Amino acid sequence: MKGIPTVLITVSPEVSAQMRPPRALYPKGFKIGNSLGRPNMRDLQNKVLRDALNLLTQNTRPGEIITIEYPEYGEQYEPPHVKKVG
Amino acid sequence: MSISRKCVPFTPFDRELSKTTIAIVTAGGVHLKDQEPFNIADELGDLGYRIIPPDVDPAQLMVTHHHYDHTDADSDINVVFPIEVLRDLETEGFIGGIAKKHVGYMGYTMQLKAMYEGTAREIANEIDKGSRADAVILTGG
Repeated sequence: MKGIPTVLITVSPEVSAQMRPPRALYPKGFKIGNSLGRPNMRDLQNKVLRDALNLLTQNTRPGEIITIEYPEYGEQYEPPHVKKVG
Repeated sequence: MSISRKCVPFTPFDRELSKTTIAIVTAGGVHLKDQEPFNIADELGDLGYRIIPPDVDPAQLMVTHHHYDHTDADSDINVVFPIEVLRDLETEGFIGGIAKKHVGYMGYTMQLKAMYEGTAREIANEIDKGSRADAVILTGG
C-alpha cells in the first residue's frame, strides 16, 4: 500500500483529533484562520512551518497532536471543544 | 475502504527534509481569483477542489469560505496557505523543493462520506500524480 507522509497544522486540536491525523502540530492559542500565525509575522510563520515539517522526522506517535507555544503570537484564543456524547 | 475508528493511517517518512519536496493542501477555501469560487450557497458544502501552481503570485489568491473569519488570510494568504514561507524555507535550504501542484478546498461539508471517499482520494491522486511532492503540509481554516 502506498501513501504520502502528511503533517497537519491545526488550530482546532479536539476537532482534528477526531479525524486521526498521522502527525499534527497545534500552535497553542492561535485562532481559527491563523494556522501559521498572524498576517505578515513572517518570522513566526517560518518557525511554525519548520516545527510542523520537523514532525516528519521525529518519532511521534501516529494520531498524536503536538502542542507548541509561541509567545510572540500575542493574545491567545481558546480552541473549539468537541461536545462529549453521553 | 473503511478503517477502524482506532486506526491511524500513517506513512513513514525516511528522507532528509533538505532533500524533500513539499506540497500544501489547505481546507481553508483558497483558490485563484480566476478559478470558480467554492459554492458557499449550498448548505451541504462544496466537494470540489482547486489546483494552485507553485509559482503563484499571492495577490492572485483569494478565499471563499463562510465558516471561518478569513479577514487575516485576505491580507496575508500565508496564514492558511504558506506558499511564500515555503519559498523562504527552500531558499534557506531547510526543504529541498516546492511541489508542482498545491490544493485548496473548502473544509466544510455535511457530506462527510463523499468528502472522505471522493474528494480526499481525488486530492491524494492529484498530489501523487505529477506534483512530485514527497510530503504534504495540511492546513485548515
